[in-house]
Amino acid sequence: MKRRVRFDIWTFVLIAAWVILIALLIWPLSSVLHASLLDNDTGAFSLVHYFQIATVKAYQRAIGNTLLAGFGGMSGALILGVTLAFVTTRFHIFGRALIQTLAVVALVSPPFIGAYAWIVLFGASGVVRKGLDAIGISIPPLYGAAGVILVFAFKFFPHVFLITSGALASINRSVEEAAESLGVSPTKRLFTVTFPLILPAISASALLTFVLSIADFGTPRIIGRDFNVLATEAFNLYGSEVGGNPGMASALSVALIVLSMVIVFGQRWVLRKNVYHSNLIKKPERKRVGGLKAVGLHVLAYAIVLIGALPAIIVVLFSFRRTSGPVFQPGVSLQSYERVISTVSDPIWNTLIFSSTAVVAIVITGTLIGYLISRRPGIATGALDATLMVPYVVPGIVMGIAFITRFNEPPLALTGTGLIIVMAVFVRRLPYSARSVAAALKQVGPNLEDAAVSLGYSPSKAFVKVTVPLILPGIMAGALMSFVTAMNELSSSLVLYVGSTITMPVRIYLSVMDGEYGTASALSTILLAMTVIAVYAAFHLSGRKESALL
Amino acid sequence: MADLKIQGLAKSYKDVRVLESINLDIASGEFFTLLGPSGCGKTTLLRTIAGFQHQDRGEIIVKGERIDHKPAHKRDIGMVFQDYAIFPHLSVADNVAFGLKARSLPKGEIEARVNESLKMVRLDGYQDRLPGEMSGGQQQRIGLARAMAIRPTLLLMDEPLSNLDAKLRIELREDIRDIQRRLGITTIYVTHDQEEALAVSDRICVMNKGNVEQIGTPFEIYRKPLRRFAASFVGTMNFLPGQLEGGRLRVGSQSIDFPVDASGPVELAIRPENVELASTSPHGGTIALKGEVLKVTFLGREAHYTLRTEAGEIVAQVADPAQDFIEMEGRPVEVRLPLQKIALFRLNGDVLDAGQAR
Repeated sequence: MKRRVRFDIWTFVLIAAWVILIALLIWPLSSVLHASLLDNDTGAFSLVHYFQIATVKAYQRAIGNTLLAGFGGMSGALILGVTLAFVTTRFHIFGRALIQTLAVVALVSPPFIGAYAWIVLFGASGVVRKGLDAIGISIPPLYGAAGVILVFAFKFFPHVFLITSGALASINRSVEEAAESLGVSPTKRLFTVTFPLILPAISASALLTFVLSIADFGTPRIIGRDFNVLATEAFNLYGSEVGGNPGMASALSVALIVLSMVIVFGQRWVLRKNVYHSNLIKKPERKRVGGLKAVGLHVLAYAIVLIGALPAIIVVLFSFRRTSGPVFQPGVSLQSYERVISTVSDPIWNTLIFSSTAVVAIVITGTLIGYLISRRPGIATGALDATLMVPYVVPGIVMGIAFITRFNEPPLALTGTGLIIVMAVFVRRLPYSARSVAAALKQVGPNLEDAAVSLGYSPSKAFVKVTVPLILPGIMAGALMSFVTAMNELSSSLVLYVGSTITMPVRIYLSVMDGEYGTASALSTILLAMTVIAVYAAFHLSGRKESALL
Repeated sequence: MADLKIQGLAKSYKDVRVLESINLDIASGEFFTLLGPSGCGKTTLLRTIAGFQHQDRGEIIVKGERIDHKPAHKRDIGMVFQDYAIFPHLSVADNVAFGLKARSLPKGEIEARVNESLKMVRLDGYQDRLPGEMSGGQQQRIGLARAMAIRPTLLLMDEPLSNLDAKLRIELREDIRDIQRRLGITTIYVTHDQEEALAVSDRICVMNKGNVEQIGTPFEIYRKPLRRFAASFVGTMNFLPGQLEGGRLRVGSQSIDFPVDASGPVELAIRPENVELASTSPHGGTIALKGEVLKVTFLGREAHYTLRTEAGEIVAQVADPAQDFIEMEGRPVEVRLPLQKIALFRLNGDVLDAGQAR
């Protein structure tokens, strides 16, 4: 009997997945590459844009600034995150739950809120700056490179914290004790045993924070002033009414993607051998320390998380302040909320509708693709898995530009519709969902399905009756986190929105740019509240595992 | 009740042949064990019978009917898994009822069968528990009850005891044997543990590298191995090099009458419990070798003597060793190999039929 190629429902899913990825990822992105290789005026093939990147000062500066922001944000986040992870996993700290909550608040608060809140505090007319000025201390306003890096560090450290504390908590204590019994001092042990063991976690979070930093658009735009990075430069060149330069914008986008990819492959190369399997026998214990050392550790831990959560706190407080026009006045009022409800409630509904639609699509597609990846290995699924890496390295701005170039003409004239915003969010978040389902499925074990089949259920019924109930909490938690990122998506929406499809992040961004801080605060607070509710639900569904929030 | 025939079953993964033309004939109600080291193809064979994998060639026939074209869920074969595969989100009762619900049985019947099956595996009263709260042994009992509840034509077990500790393993294997006997269900059992295989089986099939080495009752497999592999894999076996020449067998410097129609190099095999030390008086033909005690391992009811003889190192097992056993170390001793207890293997691994020489 010859082996048959068996067509079943999963063959269909595989084909459908490829159709989706080609239509929503490869085809749009190819337009960016294509546009970057054409002369704007003649439409002929030309490398002029890449040549300009290599010669024009402003573009070189943008690349330099992007690298600076990336490495700066990454280093800052690593220092803060690893320190906090180490302190909270190795020492007895009061209020660990509070620290974790604050870190999660910092993690989920909309990215550009950070930049905006820091301006409110340390900007040209910032509250803290003015206050310090009144007592004779003068500090420069927080704009430019320093501001961007600071915001990134305090915005992205929770990623590092959550990933590394997981790794630190699963180091077998006996390994460290063994090092000590061999005569290695505790400090030396930290660098010779502990850090090498958590290197995979550290480098994974470093990669993540770097990619997030260079892809971020709102922060350098709001707080950077003349600190131009590739993302803002591409947006300007693409978006400006006059003197727009789509070819150059595309070339810069390609440069940004290449930069991310270099870092991703770099991390893989660094980690090519460093995968440690440890059979956990003894959990590490938290040392109790007293006196000054205890005070110092508490101050350190709380300072990090409080400053991280500060933007969210500031935004909520300021949303209740009285305003007159764009200027804050003394006193408390609900003015800002009234104005939001009466004039700009559209973004709220748009955000909810777009996000829910995207999440439904993400969950269904992500679950099916996740199943394919983990249970039907083969060349076609392997390539699918690899292709799913692409959205990780494509910044939102680039995805937006790609979509608007591809879906601008009939038969697919989607520009200006809500659908195009939903599609962009969908394809950007799909890999996270598919990967998390694939990971959850690895925990379930194929024997459970075999058992159901041996008891008389067809393979598809076995999947529905056994596997789905088991991975459902994970899927739901992932769905809620997708909902959170969808709600907070700024950069791709900013390229794709029109007046009727404006979303909350875009409205907040525009308000901040126009100096309407009251409206921005009230809208941000509403967005933050919706985010926190979704995160709280996800946290419970996932059995209170912080790792589900990444 | 059902009998099972397997004819010419073969399977390869890419270039690797995992099963080479397997033929088996299993009687109705038989407890049939596939025994072999890991990677010998026994689990592949089991999963092919279950329908989780597909053979490249060959037929699987149950009750005279080919089943190999049927999908796994229509084969009506109960399976017990090495890692239990208990559904963690369902209660014990729902786990056992799972296959019955697929058959759309009436509610009352399902409940009755669930209770009956749980009673059979001594888990009556645990119906509403979640599997997570139960020990490995209990989980495997659920797995057994779940497979039996559907009253399958065949029961397949894939190393069901290998994740359990030694004591539970013995307890549960007795239970499995008792239940199987009582219900008379045709069972195929996969294990790499030769003691387990000897203890539970009606017949054992020793497999190696995708081939059947020998099929026989536990007694035949242990006492009359037909292949060198079966002899070495099941139990402990000493092997010494020997030479057949002109009706005589030479081992070391010893030579003894051995009237067989063969000549050339052979391997002499003998179980440790059949090796006699000089203190016992010889009866019948023996090969006597000069030796020295290298090491004594005291195990309570027996002791193992590692001996260096002129023909090579062998192990002798002495039951109920006397008190002065430890002083044997380093002493010379005469080692006797009774001719009725030895087996000779040709260099290709086949046994040499030595019936007339004994």
